[in-house]
Formats: sequence, C-alpha cells, structure tokens
Amino acid sequence: MPPTTQRCSVHDQRPAFARCMSCSKMLCQECATQWDGIWHCAACLGSKRGAVVQRSPFFGWVGVVTLSLMMLFAGARVMVWMAALIAGLF
Amino acid sequence: MIHTPLSTTAVLDEAADAVSMTAAPWAGVLIATALPYRFLQALFLDQLFEVGSGASHYGNLLGMTANVTVATILLALWGRAVYARACRLALARGSAPGAEALRVRPAALASYVLTASTAMLLGYLGLFTILGFFVAVMFSGIAIGTMELNDRVSITAPFGRIFRYTKRIAVPFALVFIFFFAMFVALINLAAAFQLGQWLAGALGGFDAPNWQQLFSGGNRRFMLILFGGAIVIVEPFWIAAHVIFVRKAGAEESGDDLRTWFDELRRTA
Repeated sequence: MPPTTQRCSVHDQRPAFARCMSCSKMLCQECATQWDGIWHCAACLGSKRGAVVQRSPFFGWVGVVTLSLMMLFAGARVMVWMAALIAGLF
Repeated sequence: MIHTPLSTTAVLDEAADAVSMTAAPWAGVLIATALPYRFLQALFLDQLFEVGSGASHYGNLLGMTANVTVATILLALWGRAVYARACRLALARGSAPGAEALRVRPAALASYVLTASTAMLLGYLGLFTILGFFVAVMFSGIAIGTMELNDRVSITAPFGRIFRYTKRIAVPFALVFIFFFAMFVALINLAAAFQLGQWLAGALGGFDAPNWQQLFSGGNRRFMLILFGGAIVIVEPFWIAAHVIFVRKAGAEESGDDLRTWFDELRRTA
C-alpha cells in the first residue's frame, strides 16, 4: 500500500502543515496558529484563551523568593569560607 | 522540529544551529548581562591571590566582594533565562525570535533563580571534592534547560523536573566534560587574539609595545583571570543552547513526539 500524505483534519483536500501540540490533530496552513512558538488548532487555542489562568499561590512566591535569597546569601558566605580555606592550604 | 534521536553529538550539532540563529541580538544580551558577574568573580579571585594565606584576616574585604558578586548573578540569571527562551523559540520556528524572547514568565524565572542559586551553593560546597563541583555544574545546566517548563511557582517542582531529566544522565555529564575542554580551547583562542591585536597595534607605531606585552602575558595574574572569565562568557551561549536542546529531545523521547515527527517526515518524503 503506498504511503498516504497526511491531510488537514478540518479540510480533507489540503495537505497537513503542522500538528496541534495540544490535541495532536493535523492542520493545514489556514487552521494552524502559532502561539509562543507552538502550533495550536483553533479549538485548543480558544480553550486556552478561555481557561482561567491558574495563578501561582501567594505562599509559593514567598517561599521561593525567601529560599532563593537564603541560597544566595549562603552562597556568598560559603564562597568566602571556601576561598579562605583553600588559600590557607597554600 | 526534532531532527535526530537524543545523543551528545546530535545535541551539539543542533546547539550550533540554535546559536547561529540567536547570535544577534540574544547572545549579545547574554554576554552583556554575564560580564559584571564574571568581572567580579575575577576581582574576587584577584583579591584572594593578593591576600594569600592571610585570607581569613580579610573576611570583610572578601565578604563585600562576594556579596556584590552574588548580587550581580541575578542580572546574569535573567540574561540566561532570556537566551534560553530565545533558543527555544528559534528552534520551534527555525528563525531568530523577536522581542517576545524578553517575555520570560515570572514563575519560570523565579524557579530558575531558586535552582541556579542552589546549584551555585552546591558548586562552592563541592569544590574540594572536584566531582561534586562537576555535578553542580551539570545540575545548573539542566536547570536552565528545564526553566521554561515551570509554569507555576513551587519550591519542589523545579527540582523534581531536574531530577526527571537525570534519567538520561550520560548526555548532560558528557556535555559538562566537553564544555570544560571547550573552555580551554576558547581560552587559548582568546589569548591568541590578544597577541594578534598587540602585534597589529605594534606595527602601527607610537605604541608602547614592551609595556603592553608585559600586561598581556601569562605572568600577569589579572590578565589570566580576565581570560578565564572571557572564555566562560564565549562558551556560555553554546552551553545554554545545548541544555535547552537536551531537555527538548529527552522530553520528546518520553512523550513519543520524536517518533511521531519522524514518521510524519518519512510519510512526507515517500
């Protein structure tokens, strides 16, 4: 059986141009829309736009920022301690 | 588009393509944001060599420089995040991205600052063990590769993503050693470029060649430190692009996207 060329899932007569990264449907040039570097079909893009954006929890932000600052502060201290330790060896 | 299966050579090949697509202006943004951090690292090491074994008596001086160095890493991390996003967009489109590369999601950036600062701390703690330092460098590479996968802020999720990609540990580990040697090659090239510039300037006349020769020689500690910093800055765009591609390829293998794309390509060419 000869291999068949992929067709657009909306327009049977058109060759496929891209694949929707959400629902995996094949799409022609007219049906495919790129958003943030990724191809989507109209339905998936619509549902993405309509979906309520899940916000990161406030305590998540506080935790990440606090922990990052602690890591940076500890990084600076350890940098000096290790430097003094290594310098003391020579 | 995923062209070839995951391997170190495939990652390096595609990284070269990604860097050529993103060189202007995004590699410039990466280098400009990394320079203050690298200069201050060189200054810290210079001060350390200056005080030598008496370093423990100069805690305030070294501590002040270390604090400023760590503060400038935030700018460098933002530059890396922008560059990683530019690489991902360039790979998806096959052309250089525009200003949208600057729109790094705050949650992704915050997660990356957390993982990168942890990698930095682990790197300094692991200095004595040598292997620990390389593991921290590998961790930091996967951290920039997985940065954009973090769509929500969380303390544990970014680390979970990094550990997920350590299943394919051979490739990131190979990348660490390849880029370690690439840094020395860049160092030699940079030193040669300085010598060439000095030789050309000497041919012009009115130029204090012997003095500059002394400054741009291996005997000048500051020049050597700047060369090391410069070599890291040169290699960094390739390092980031390689990790963005590694994460993309490893993720595609997991989800089966690579096989789907391969079959689609075969069907199209048949």
